[in-house]
Amino acid sequence: MAQSNEELIASVVRQLMKEINGGGAPVAAAAGDGGVTAADYPLGMKRRDLLKSPRGIPFEELTLENVESGKVVFEDFSISGEVLNFQGNIAASAGRTQIALNFARAREMTKIPDERILEMYNSLRPHRSTKAELLAIADELQGKYNATVCAGFVKEAADVYERRKLLKGDLPSTD
Amino acid sequence: MAGTKRSKRFEVLESRPVHLDGFIGEWIEVGLYAMGSPQDPKPSIRIEGGKVVEMDGKARADFSMIEQFVADYAINVKNAPEAMAKSEVEISRMLVDINVPRSECTRIFTALTPAKIARVMDCMNIVEMMMAMQKMRCRQTPANQAHVTSAKDHPVMLAADAAEATYRGFKEIETTVGVVRYAPFNALALLVGGQVGRRGTLSQDALEEAFELQVGMRGLTSYAETVSVYGTERVFVDGDDTPWSKSFLASAYASRGLKMRFTSGTGSEVQMGAAEGKSMLYLETLCVMVTKGAGVQGLQNGSISCIGVPAAVPSGIRAVAAENLITMCLDLEVASGSDQTFSHSDQRRTARTMPQFFAGTDWIFSGYSSTPNYDNMFAGSNWDITDVDDYLALQRDFKIDGGLRPVKEEDVIAIRNKAARAIQAVFAELGFPPITDDEVEACTYANGSKDIGDRNIPEDLKAAERLMKDAVTGVDVAKALAKRGFRDVAESIILMMRQRVAGDYLQTSAWVASDGTVYSAVNDANTYMGPGTGYKIPDDRWEEIKSIPWAIRAEDI
Repeated sequence: MAQSNEELIASVVRQLMKEINGGGAPVAAAAGDGGVTAADYPLGMKRRDLLKSPRGIPFEELTLENVESGKVVFEDFSISGEVLNFQGNIAASAGRTQIALNFARAREMTKIPDERILEMYNSLRPHRSTKAELLAIADELQGKYNATVCAGFVKEAADVYERRKLLKGDLPSTD
Repeated sequence: MAGTKRSKRFEVLESRPVHLDGFIGEWIEVGLYAMGSPQDPKPSIRIEGGKVVEMDGKARADFSMIEQFVADYAINVKNAPEAMAKSEVEISRMLVDINVPRSECTRIFTALTPAKIARVMDCMNIVEMMMAMQKMRCRQTPANQAHVTSAKDHPVMLAADAAEATYRGFKEIETTVGVVRYAPFNALALLVGGQVGRRGTLSQDALEEAFELQVGMRGLTSYAETVSVYGTERVFVDGDDTPWSKSFLASAYASRGLKMRFTSGTGSEVQMGAAEGKSMLYLETLCVMVTKGAGVQGLQNGSISCIGVPAAVPSGIRAVAAENLITMCLDLEVASGSDQTFSHSDQRRTARTMPQFFAGTDWIFSGYSSTPNYDNMFAGSNWDITDVDDYLALQRDFKIDGGLRPVKEEDVIAIRNKAARAIQAVFAELGFPPITDDEVEACTYANGSKDIGDRNIPEDLKAAERLMKDAVTGVDVAKALAKRGFRDVAESIILMMRQRVAGDYLQTSAWVASDGTVYSAVNDANTYMGPGTGYKIPDDRWEEIKSIPWAIRAEDI
């Protein structure tokens, strides 16, 4: 049995952070996704076999005719977590580790509804949330959406906001 | 001067347009200093246990939120000791040395501190910066972006102008509004008009962050750019964000399959009164590094809406070129400004653009006004449609690919008319206020909004609101077009919707060709290593650039 999805993502992120800091093995190897690299790019031309809508409609079938017949709907024109993972590996294999980390967060966000994402973004703005409120968002990300990378990122923000007095009720920093 | 006898020469000089521009001497304390201020931090780095514990003379415990973010996400600590040990002159020479590949330069640059990067830039003159840009921009083939706006927010005019702009060669188009509530219609007009002019056009609607994301999510736009970052903590917080909130937003865009880049620029901190006495370029370096650390693929910089500030101080326009170059050296897409009016002098506004034009950047302008400047709702651009034949002549004079092509009047009329009819069809199908044949005709032949009539604005605004409330999507627009006989335009919109599934245009410096192929720094990486390498204008493209319609042809004589 392979690692759980959560463990897998956590290990990918550890690798990415090591990469950003200059250590670590190539990320694609850690991700175990069939080894998509920059050589497969653009996926829309070279690897259509890998692309499908979130509910599984193949890329080739995302056509005007199928839109007209109702077989394909707006929601089918959405990126899947899997494709974000491929694109993350392509970025990493081209040496762009931070982009891969951004896509790792994005991959987790594909499961979060639009409205909730916008609310979370607003809560992360300065002087908008208490530390407890930010930690509750981190818990929600972890518990409800299995979003390990995003949860860690929000926790880190909570610590920084506390140190720099950017939480709700803090007076603006003077230094 | 009363009572003093004046020199006629000086009276003539003072009447020249350049004397209407603002100039000011350096003023270190408020940050009116382009680059290399005596108050800029001195480069240093100390690393313990894989973490940066001191950067540019400051201990980690004292880091601002920006410094902490940059230290943890934008500096390769393994390479830092090697990179930081090099002198600034040595690193600047790597940039202009044709024998040092781009990849080696980015390896060193991504391991430098902000103060070190700013100092490296100060070692170069403007020609050396241009040489460096030629090698360091991440995509090999340059491209160009246009503003498409209307003083009347006229949807038909916007669609026609979008079509003309993309037909002329702009691969990305950007709009904003005069009246905020028109924003959904502006997005719709660019979506339809942009695809009429060239299948594969990327379009955006520059507005408040949450709205931009929303129209993007619905497929009415395909990318976003006005996501601002700043170089001091106070200004960042005044802008109501932090590096963490902006990174979170960036990931939200990627999670919906939307391209995005950040925006920053020298002078913004001075303008907001909190530059902390640092030079504009030092603060801008922090912005570029925040972008890098966020994992955002690119940045619009080059002072942008604050261009009046660096342009007023000595070496300011050189600093603007330097900020573009830093973006390239950190392996990010750059949309290199020239997008705001800053000078009354034709000489100055042309010269300001030449470093980026000659060297080539990913997006030479981050908003060439495709309309007359009176219609430019970004407060005017440095160049507008009235200058376009000058631009075409410059491409031809210097054999430069500036992203545009000469066009014939009858072809432009035809493409504008098609876009106007297409938006007319979409409005009819979706039950929006009717677009008359007279409006189609007027917008087909108009130069700007002064040449056309007024819409029923209250009715339009009500309908624009409904567009948002009913959550009209790109798919609905495609269906409407297909139903009313604009099948090819409908196919183009579906082609753009498919990009969201493939995600290829999320990679660095991407644009979409008319067959749906995405070109970016991944599959069109810059390979410049001196004369005979890098981007070479293809023969057919050179033929296109050469053939300005108003040139006399030898065979006609």
